[in-house]
Order: sequence, then structure tokens, then C-alpha cells
Amino acid sequence: MNLFDNSISDLRDYLQRKKSEGSREYVIPQTSGWPISGKGNVVLEPDTAIELGNPKDESSSFLLWSDDAKKINDGRMTLIGPDLGESKQKNLPFGKVVLLGVRGMTEDNCYERHREIEMARYDLNLSGYMMRSVSQYGREWSRVSKEAIGRGASFATLASALAQMYRNIDFVESVEIVFVTSSPADVRELGVLGDKASRLIGALNKMAAEMSFECDSCDFVDVCSEVYDLRNIRNNLKKE
Amino acid sequence: MCVAKRKTKIIAICGKGGVGKTSISAAVTKILIEDARARVLAIDADPAVGLASALDISVRCTVDDVRNLLINKIEKREGGDKKQIISLLDYELTNALEERGNLAFLAIGRPETEGCYCKVNDMLKDIIKSLSSNFDYVVIDGEAGIEQINRRVMESVTHLILVSDQSAKGVGVLATLKKVAADAVHYERVGYIINRIRDEQELDKMQLPEDIEFLGFIPEDENIRNSDIEGKSFLMLPDCTALNSVRQCLEAMRILPLEIFNPNCTCSAMHNH
Repeated sequence: MNLFDNSISDLRDYLQRKKSEGSREYVIPQTSGWPISGKGNVVLEPDTAIELGNPKDESSSFLLWSDDAKKINDGRMTLIGPDLGESKQKNLPFGKVVLLGVRGMTEDNCYERHREIEMARYDLNLSGYMMRSVSQYGREWSRVSKEAIGRGASFATLASALAQMYRNIDFVESVEIVFVTSSPADVRELGVLGDKASRLIGALNKMAAEMSFECDSCDFVDVCSEVYDLRNIRNNLKKE
Repeated sequence: MCVAKRKTKIIAICGKGGVGKTSISAAVTKILIEDARARVLAIDADPAVGLASALDISVRCTVDDVRNLLINKIEKREGGDKKQIISLLDYELTNALEERGNLAFLAIGRPETEGCYCKVNDMLKDIIKSLSSNFDYVVIDGEAGIEQINRRVMESVTHLILVSDQSAKGVGVLATLKKVAADAVHYERVGYIINRIRDEQELDKMQLPEDIEFLGFIPEDENIRNSDIEGKSFLMLPDCTALNSVRQCLEAMRILPLEIFNPNCTCSAMHNH
């Protein structure tokens, strides 16, 4: 299934544009070195070195997947903007995109499987890393402690921990990650792509939750018309 | 890599209704956060939600709200499998924390429907276990009576402070609490405080329990009274005799001084530097 092909293509254009502005590419380390912690990791404000995507700043976080292995640069991370240990500011705007190469995604299972990979982010328990808040509007607010930065925490080690976590899901075959901290404008620009992806998910959720196929009155008719796979899911559900 | 762990002191303040548990919990919280190095989690485990007001904290989301949210997700089949729901629960609870510098706050809330608090209390028990390792101190303002102790909600409490006023009923509850706690709480220390004493000689007239450590008495104090009446935050209380008495009780229980947690230490032991 290639539900997000257009979004991935738009993301590639975005990354291409940012290349000339100094984005950096890394190979995601095999092992993170970021110590894991127990559940419910809390980083209070006085212990925070870097706050990413605070509600006062821009924030956009989304997930794209494809069963076309060529579309995912497995094991690669792109960083646009300062790394965790490089920023002189305590608060940074934050963009995060996780791209996953998946297998066995079908019209019947993609809703459940998408939820599974969406929920996986709540399994990340790293010492000195706290996901403070995630909104339904694709915002992600997180904190990294002074202690974690002192131990050498970076976006590469975070990407490594994330990649390991996603690879634990049996139908995930490849992982690529993008982080953006350069400017509010860059994160806003990324957010436009995120909004497009979240409308696709919105349509998928609506079909699964409401089983309503009144296209004339549906808010998502535009995305269904644009994306072939979404139309297929709708048509199959209609037949049932 | 090893990460140093705190030896968290989990302090529960329990007693009969109306003896001033919430005021003492607020005073304990104020004293503990005075040391900027201390990381303190205050839990308002009393459904009456008085501690939030005493600390002037607006509660956006309670444990009960989190529970209802998860129930809704399960009912709408949005929450995924059991493992995913548990992960989400941890996230939702950290999201529900209110923060004031080195203080984090969580309220249990009040179930909207009539009936039993068991389910929320069960969640509270898990929360104490899962969140406490992030903090040097956890202060729990317990609900009145013995229910939370009896149901082992306070199981992992290390310091149990029993509170009574000068009333015979209040003092009578101390012995019951201690008896129930002996089986249901793995505490290191237990002691009692007599609250709102006008005159030290009042203590002589009281039948105080002999088998529980007496930590001290808290004199009736105009500053506390006025804070209560005016609804002012206990965090703004000036230094006063009542606060000093609470401080002495904490020292008597060896809750103070703070045992410094060294985040740079990489040895594998539990840390108590």
C-alpha cells in the first residue's frame, strides 16, 4: 500500500530544499547508548537542558509509511538545525518525521497497523527524555535533561533508540528519521506536510469508526479523491 | 550504562477527617521544595481535592480523568492492545502532572458517578510505584480514614505520618491506622503529629498512643488560619511557628535533610549519597 506516497514525495522535495541550507545527514547508530529508564520518566523544568516543541514554539510530528522499500532511506537520519548539545537556546521549535518501510499492509489491516505504529512512541522510555505532551494536531512537546546532555545525548542517539523501537514491530522493515530544529518557519513548512498526512489518517479513522460513506457530506472527500489506496479502502468497506 | 537512582522518600499523611491533613501536607510540601535541589511530587489522594487549593494549583486533568479517557479509548477500540494502553497510561499521567519549578503535582480527582473509588485507588497505587523514582520526595495527602491504607494503596510508602487533632476520636483513629498499616504498608518509619494545639498542656490531658513515635505537635497558628480563611497558597506562608514545628517533625522522622542524589555517579548501587 502506498497511502503516503504523495506525502513522502513532498517530504523529499522539502529535504532537497533544506540541503542547500545546511541540513546534515547521518547514519543512525546501531546502538543508542542512551540509557533506558523505567516507566513514567519525568524531567522537571529545572532539570531540563532542551525543550523541544514547547506550546509557545512551533511543533510538528508525524509518521509516514510505505511498502515500497525504495522510498525509505533505511538507517538514515536528517537533521535540519542545531543538535541537542549544540543549541544555545533552551527552547527549540521541533519537527519530527518517522518514515517506515513496512510489509504486509493491506486495506483490511492498515487502520489497526497504523494505530500500532502510532502508539509505539509511547513505549520510548529513555533516562532524561520526557515526552511532555502530544496533541491530536500533530504537535509533540518533549524535554531532554541536563544529565542526558551531559552523557552525550544527541539526535543521532535518539534516532537510534527510536529506530530500535520501531524495528521491534514485526511488520516494520526499515526506518528513516528527520528532525527539524532550525527555525519556526522550517517547522511550519514541515507542518503543512504533516497536516496533509494527518488528513489521510483522519479519513482512515472516520471510515473505521463511523462506517459512514456519505461522500457528499464528508469532510475528507478531497483526500479520498486524491489518494487511490484510500478510495480502495472505502470501496471495500462499502461492499462489506 | 548505569543510571544513578534516587532513594525516594514516599511520605503519606493520614488521619481522621478534619484533623488538618491537607494543611500539614501543604506545609510539608512547602518545606521540602525550599531546597531547590529536591524534586518533589505532591499527590492529592483525597477526593475532596484540597491540596491543590492549598498549593494554589489549578488542576487540568486528574487521575480519574485519565482513567475515563482510557476507558473511552478502550470502548471506542482506539487504544490498541493491553500493552499499548499501559504505555499510553504512563504518558497520560506524566501529561497530567502540574509543575511549579521543582514541584510536580497530581490529583486523584473525584469520580463523577456515585460509587466506589477502588479503580482510581488501584491506579493511584501503580502511579506511586511508577512515578516516584523520578523524585526525592513524594508527599501524599491521603483520604480520611483507613480505606486507602487498608486497600494497600499506600503499600510503597516509606514514611507514614499520622495526624490527629486534640479530639479523643482523632487520637483513637491513630491506633487503628497504625494497626492496619502494620500489614498493608512497607513503611520504614511511622509517627504521629498532634495538630492545632493551643497550649502544650493540652497534650497532658490527652490519651496519646504509646506504641507510636510522637513526632511533635503543631501549634494553632494565625498564619495558617488566615491562609485557610483567605484561600491563600501555603507556598506563600511566611516562616512561622507552625511551619517550624512541621520542619522539626520532618527532621525527627529523618525525612530532612535531603539526601543528595548524584546524577553523575555511575556505580551500580542504589544511590544514597
